[in-house]
Amino acid sequence: MGTEGREPDETGSPPKGPADPANWGIAFDLGIRLGVSVILGLGLGLLVDSWLHTSPIFLLIGMVLGIAAAMYTIWDVASGSMRR
Amino acid sequence: MVHVEIAAERLFQLGPLIFTNSMLGALLASLLLLVAARFFAPGPALVPTRAQGIVELPIEWLAGIVRVTGGKRWREFVALVVVIFLFVLVANWLSLLPGIGTVGFYEEVGGKRVLVPFVRAAAADLNMTLGLAIVSFVSFIAFGIRANGLRGYLRETLVAEPAYMTPLLTPIHVISELSRLVSLSMRLFGNVFAGEVLLATMLSLTTAAIFTLPLAFFVPGIFLGLELLFGLVQALVFALLSMTYITLAIAEDRQHEPADNHHTGETPAPTTADPAHGAA
Repeated sequence: MGTEGREPDETGSPPKGPADPANWGIAFDLGIRLGVSVILGLGLGLLVDSWLHTSPIFLLIGMVLGIAAAMYTIWDVASGSMRR
Repeated sequence: MVHVEIAAERLFQLGPLIFTNSMLGALLASLLLLVAARFFAPGPALVPTRAQGIVELPIEWLAGIVRVTGGKRWREFVALVVVIFLFVLVANWLSLLPGIGTVGFYEEVGGKRVLVPFVRAAAADLNMTLGLAIVSFVSFIAFGIRANGLRGYLRETLVAEPAYMTPLLTPIHVISELSRLVSLSMRLFGNVFAGEVLLATMLSLTTAAIFTLPLAFFVPGIFLGLELLFGLVQALVFALLSMTYITLAIAEDRQHEPADNHHTGETPAPTTADPAHGAA
């Protein structure tokens, strides 16, 4: 994988670039997490609605939060990747 | 006709414990790893034999990746990452052996006789993949708490900067965190289960008629080869994502106070501050 002999630098940062194997996991992860975030938001909204009988208020709130969480996930993964 | 059962089938029941065929698959994979560890761990030769070299190769390869990309504290979690990788890899590849998923007993389901295999691919059961994802999820939370302290971790997770944004940003952050758990478990389950269905379908199609029978000797073989590759990739992705999450959780302590230098005795590296939340 081309990682042999490469040591972290003095700050503990790994080598950067597409050859960094950790980036493969991130690439596989990002697409699914976008969808999952929206579905989770919708699901939680549905649950709260069925519990409080307030349909569709929390469904809509959950949808907005889910979409926001998806966008937050992109930013989180990108900033975390740059930090590493 | 191909019978697809999304839930693992019950083999027997011991009191409240229902033993399924996917549990048997996971047990076989664990036993295989334990036997290999027992056989090779007690006295590894200085000059490794061919068998020892084959066993050590994936461990050294992945440990090399963790050493390079896992930050300064890679030694604390390298064993967890390697064990997750080996378990998922062995469980995935074990399911491709002849007899796994094809040898079993017949059972009446809805008036039809269906084959219940004795052993099913461990990762083709959402219970197993969810359990493994929970292990990974709890691990990176535990490493985050260990690095930041409980108060620091909760502040990172539940309190936004600026503080008046907390009611809006905290639910978003919690949903984003939970999506890791769902994504880890669903990806592995989906890939392995789809692979099982694909193999069964290809075998069923090629053996459906006498003139397609010659295809049965090599078409399923192509897909078996692909499944070998997918099994490796999925094991690697699960292990690398667990490593990435743990690395990020540990790296949070670099953004704030030098909280836990007592753990390693190392000076935290300066990093760019996260404006809203520190992602754990």
